[in-house]
Amino acid sequence: MKNKTLWLVVSLLVIASMVLTSCGSKTPETKVLRVWIQWGDNPQQLQQLFDKYTTESGIKVEVTAPLAEDKILPALTGSEPPDILILSGGDLVKSYAKENLVMELSDAIQTGGIDLNDFFAAPLDQCKMGNQILCLPWGTDMYALFWNKDMFEAAGLDPNTPPATMEQLAEFADQLTKISADGTIEQIGFLPDQAWGHGDLYVRMFDGFWYSEDGTHMTANSQPMIDSLLWQQQFYTKYNADKVLALSSGWADAYMSADYPFYTGKLAMYVDGEWMTGPNFISQFKPEASYGVAPFPPPADHPERANTAVVQGTVAVIPAGATDKSASATLLAWMMSPAIVAEEFCYNANLPTSKIAAEDTCFTDNPKFKIFMDLMASPNATYVITTPISLEFNTSYGTVEEQVLHTGADPEPLLDALQTEFEVKLVEALK
Amino acid sequence: MDALRMSGRKFSWPPKISKMGPRQRVNFRIGMLFLLPWTIGFLAFTLYPMIASLVYSFSIYHSKQPLEWVGLQNYATLLTDDLFWKSLANTVYLVAIGVPLTLLASFFCAVLLNLKVRGQSFYRVIYFLPSIVPTVASTILWLWILNPNTGILNTLLAHLGISGPNWMSNPDWSKPGLILLGMWGMGGTIVIYLSGLQDVPISLLEAAELDGASWWQRLWNITIPMVSPITLFNLITGVIGMFQYFAQAYVFRGSHGLGYPLNSTLFYSVYLYQNGFLWLKMGYASAMAWVLFIIILICTLLLLKVSDRFTYYAG
Repeated sequence: MKNKTLWLVVSLLVIASMVLTSCGSKTPETKVLRVWIQWGDNPQQLQQLFDKYTTESGIKVEVTAPLAEDKILPALTGSEPPDILILSGGDLVKSYAKENLVMELSDAIQTGGIDLNDFFAAPLDQCKMGNQILCLPWGTDMYALFWNKDMFEAAGLDPNTPPATMEQLAEFADQLTKISADGTIEQIGFLPDQAWGHGDLYVRMFDGFWYSEDGTHMTANSQPMIDSLLWQQQFYTKYNADKVLALSSGWADAYMSADYPFYTGKLAMYVDGEWMTGPNFISQFKPEASYGVAPFPPPADHPERANTAVVQGTVAVIPAGATDKSASATLLAWMMSPAIVAEEFCYNANLPTSKIAAEDTCFTDNPKFKIFMDLMASPNATYVITTPISLEFNTSYGTVEEQVLHTGADPEPLLDALQTEFEVKLVEALK
Repeated sequence: MDALRMSGRKFSWPPKISKMGPRQRVNFRIGMLFLLPWTIGFLAFTLYPMIASLVYSFSIYHSKQPLEWVGLQNYATLLTDDLFWKSLANTVYLVAIGVPLTLLASFFCAVLLNLKVRGQSFYRVIYFLPSIVPTVASTILWLWILNPNTGILNTLLAHLGISGPNWMSNPDWSKPGLILLGMWGMGGTIVIYLSGLQDVPISLLEAAELDGASWWQRLWNITIPMVSPITLFNLITGVIGMFQYFAQAYVFRGSHGLGYPLNSTLFYSVYLYQNGFLWLKMGYASAMAWVLFIIILICTLLLLKVSDRFTYYAG
């Protein structure tokens, strides 16, 4: 009798705990949409933004941000993916599409009534694969040349005149570089891969890319690729690559601090994005900085390539496993509405992807920020061509870039090897 | 009382439920019930993933589509993958240099911390403290220490008239930098050595001293052999840990790509992670995981085999 009572108590406890665990804290009929965002220095602000959707629709939205890189794949492959996933870049979208992990968005665009004409062309084009639309850009980034006016003045250069050509940029860099008697570099004029690589911008300036325009072939060993690497290489080899590296080591990690070399007078020119001109970077870390921003200059013999710039940045996808795709589409449409785009990207000082949102004074009143807005609307604005092998290729290309710039290696054989290896992989991936 | 009576019986395994009394059956069932959480955890989160990864390693893995069976292709591709060999070589470097250096330094510190000096406990705490600092935090700290321009290490070297290397951007110095970082957190190994040193019989040391043995002779002929099982334990766990080296390398690259500089910090687990979670090549990553398992198994068996020559078990 005692045994039976014991078993009964244990069984009841087990069942009760299972029931309580499965219930959780929410009732089954409460509708909750989940938005996972890869970036997000201020998750609270993002949650507050999506709370407005709750106010309007009565549907609760839970924001998870920032999302670590290694959580994205489990998020997409798991049985309960988020309803919307916002990625920092579009590099992997085609890889995900190949694995059927993300939805083709044409139906969602129609369901949500999203006006594609309101999108700037370059950011939207990065999401297209043939007739398919795999993602929608939600704010974006572009890059331009930043120069330190005080350092220009000290070097005898006009602080209000940036270099007009890539060749002149190299000349200015020479004048702005200071080397001490013992050979140590005290300050450097230009660093092409600060704070990260900008090979996509430089190769576009040489009128090429590592894929063909339709993304079906590799052009990794094309002349523009070689030229762009050689152009970058000079800024290391001219001053002794080891010494440049010794000077610049750790600079990238000081990006969000007052010790950043652009503020401390160690780096005179470099390429960076629009957010630097907003309230969260230079204004915060070095408010008194005297600096200029200009579109990256074209090669002297190709002035028609002026205002070439490459769009990179946030894209939103609907995971293929999202349970209520109609609800995801409606939320996506709300996110893409000009008012929401304006609010979010005014706050973050990123480029709005909506043309209507771009008319907001918070974007147009800042003349330095407007340079990036004009670049996005430029006919030479382009985007990073992506393929299902983008991330793997980018990693390998990064190593080649490192070898060429930091060790003075000849780019041709390295790019030939890259071409041979990845042409096969691309053909295989596109099957 | 029943349990006490049972202990007098002849032990047989597995127990036969039919031969158990009612009370024993209840005890047996309750015992099984308590074992259930671990068993379910082991089956669901260890055994199943292991078997699944073995299956994946013979296939191209698609998360939303059926597996594409490719036989030994993933393993064959490994043989011709330059980055696989590079990552293996980088890892072997850490194992071959990092583990012995850490053991040597740990033993040396443990011997010092075992000396009866004033403030002994304080010194022990100081040496142990770094090992409880989270890996990410300690790696970021070492990124500052190793900064060639502003870091404390190169500043100290400069005072000695030595021009410090570029620890973070020079592929020849990135791995030594990581080894230094690892040695800073060797508190756990020191504690294990310390416990071993305290088990060395005082009588032996005193007898040797009476016979005129010097400090070095006592260390070499008594202490080191007596702690050799501890050395073996630290060596095996060190080798296993080093083959799976990941977090420090992941953080050490800073804002650069994995493996920076020039793939010199692309260790085996980092490359495995890159394949599986960034390039979506889960089948290939699974094959790498099984190759790593076999490498670790062989190394451990080899170490156990050769340990007979240098391990002394007093019992």
